[in-house]
Amino acid sequence: MDTITLQELNGRVKSTLQFEMPDAYWVQAEISGISPSGQGHCYLELVQKDTTGRTFLAKAKANVWRNTWLKIKPYFEAETGESLKVGMKVLLQVTVTFHEVYGYSLVVQDIDPTYTMGDMARRRKEILDQLAKDGVIGLNHELEIPVLPHRIAVISSATAAGYGDFRNQLANNVYGFRFYVKLFQAAMQGDDVERSVIAALDAVAARMDDFDLVVIIRGGGAVSELSCFDSYNLAYNIANFPLPVITGIGHERDDTVADVVAHTKVKTPTAAAEFIINMVFDTAQVLETLARRMGDAVTGRMNTETVRLERLAQKLPSLFAVLKVRYEQMLENMWNKSVTGVSNLLTARVHKLELLEKSISAADPALILKRGFSLTRCNGHVVSSASDLKPGDRLTTVLADGSVESEII
Amino acid sequence: MKYEEAIKRLEEIVTEIESGKLDMDRIGESLKEARGLIKFCKDKLYETDEEIKKILETED
Repeated sequence: MDTITLQELNGRVKSTLQFEMPDAYWVQAEISGISPSGQGHCYLELVQKDTTGRTFLAKAKANVWRNTWLKIKPYFEAETGESLKVGMKVLLQVTVTFHEVYGYSLVVQDIDPTYTMGDMARRRKEILDQLAKDGVIGLNHELEIPVLPHRIAVISSATAAGYGDFRNQLANNVYGFRFYVKLFQAAMQGDDVERSVIAALDAVAARMDDFDLVVIIRGGGAVSELSCFDSYNLAYNIANFPLPVITGIGHERDDTVADVVAHTKVKTPTAAAEFIINMVFDTAQVLETLARRMGDAVTGRMNTETVRLERLAQKLPSLFAVLKVRYEQMLENMWNKSVTGVSNLLTARVHKLELLEKSISAADPALILKRGFSLTRCNGHVVSSASDLKPGDRLTTVLADGSVESEII
Repeated sequence: MKYEEAIKRLEEIVTEIESGKLDMDRIGESLKEARGLIKFCKDKLYETDEEIKKILETED
C-alpha cells in the first residue's frame, strides 16, 4: 500500500488548485469577520447565508495583503462613505490558494464598491418600505415645531466636533436669541449607534416637557459611516418620537433612513443650528410686526378721535349761532309782548286818572257854591245837622262871592 | 404663560384696536396689556431664563 505524507497530500491539493483554478474570480460574499494586522494586512472572514440568514451555505478566509489593502481600503471608503465591516455585502476579486499548513484561503486582489452600495440602497429601501407599511414614516414630520424652539435636546457625542459647532453657532447668533442646550450622549458611529441613540431618545422622552426639539448631530469625517443610521429600530423610534427630531448627521451621500423619518433633515450640525436660528428669527419677526401694528393702530385711532373732536369743535360756533338767533327771537318776542302789556297798562291808568280828574273837578267847592249851594259854619266848624244848633248861636254862611253873619233866634 | 399664548393674546388685542370698535376708554388698558406681552416675548427671545437654565442643568 502506497502511503504519502500529509505535506505531500497538501502539496498535491495546492498544485491541483493552482493548475485547475489559476484565474481570479469575482465573488459575492458577506463579511463575517475583519481584523487588520499589525503589519498592514487585513484578514477577512467571508460567508454566504441562506435566505433566512441563519444557516451558512459557505465560508472562507480571505487575506488582503498590505499592498492591496493600501489601495482598496481608501478607494472603497471614498466610493461608499463606509469602511468595510461585519455584515457588509461585498464583491471581491479573489484568487484561490492552498497552503500546506494554513489550508484553503482566498487572496483579495480588488473590490467593487458599487455592489456594496447597491446592497445598502436595497436594504435602505426595504427598511423604508417596512416603515411605510407600518404607517409611521410621516409621523414625526407631521409634528408642529413650537413657535419658540429654544430648548434643545441634543443627541450626539460630547467629543464630536459637530456638537461644538452646533453649540457655537447657536450661542453666537447675530440676533442675540437665547438658546438652552442639553446633551444626551450617544455613540455616533460603530455598532452601538442604534442602541445608544434609542436610549438617548428614551431619556429625552422621559422629560419631554422640558424641550421643544430634538437634534441628532455629528460631524462628518473622511468616512461617514452612515449605514448605522439605516436602522429600522432607530428609524421607528425617531418616527414615533413625540417631539420634532432634526437630523444633521453628515452629507457624504443620500439621506439615511433616520433622515427620511425625521421631521427635518439638514446636512451638518451647523446647518441644524442655522435652521433653528432662522425659525426663531421668523418668530421674532412676527412679534416685531405685531408691535408695529399695535403702534400704528393706536396712532391711527388717536388720529381718528382727534379729527372727530376737531370736527365737533368746528361745529360748535355754528351751533351757537343757531341758538343765539333762536334765543334772540325769544327775547324779542318777550320784549314785544311786555312792551304792549306795559303800554296797555299805562293807557288804562291814564284813563282812570282822567276819570278821577273829572270827578275831582266836579267836587270842587267853588263850583258847588256857584251853583247856589252854601257852606254854614258855627264857631269854625262846618254845620251839617240842625240838631247841632241852639238859639243864640252865631252862624257864618259862605256863598260863592262872600259870606254873611247871622244869629239863631 | 407660554410664548405662544402671549403672541395669540397680542394678536387679539391688535386686531381689536385695528377694527376701531374698541372703546376709547379701554384703549389705554389694552395698550398697557400689549406692552406687557411684548416685553414678555422679548424677554423670552433675548434674555436668559434662569428657570429653564436650572431645569436643564438638572441631571436625569
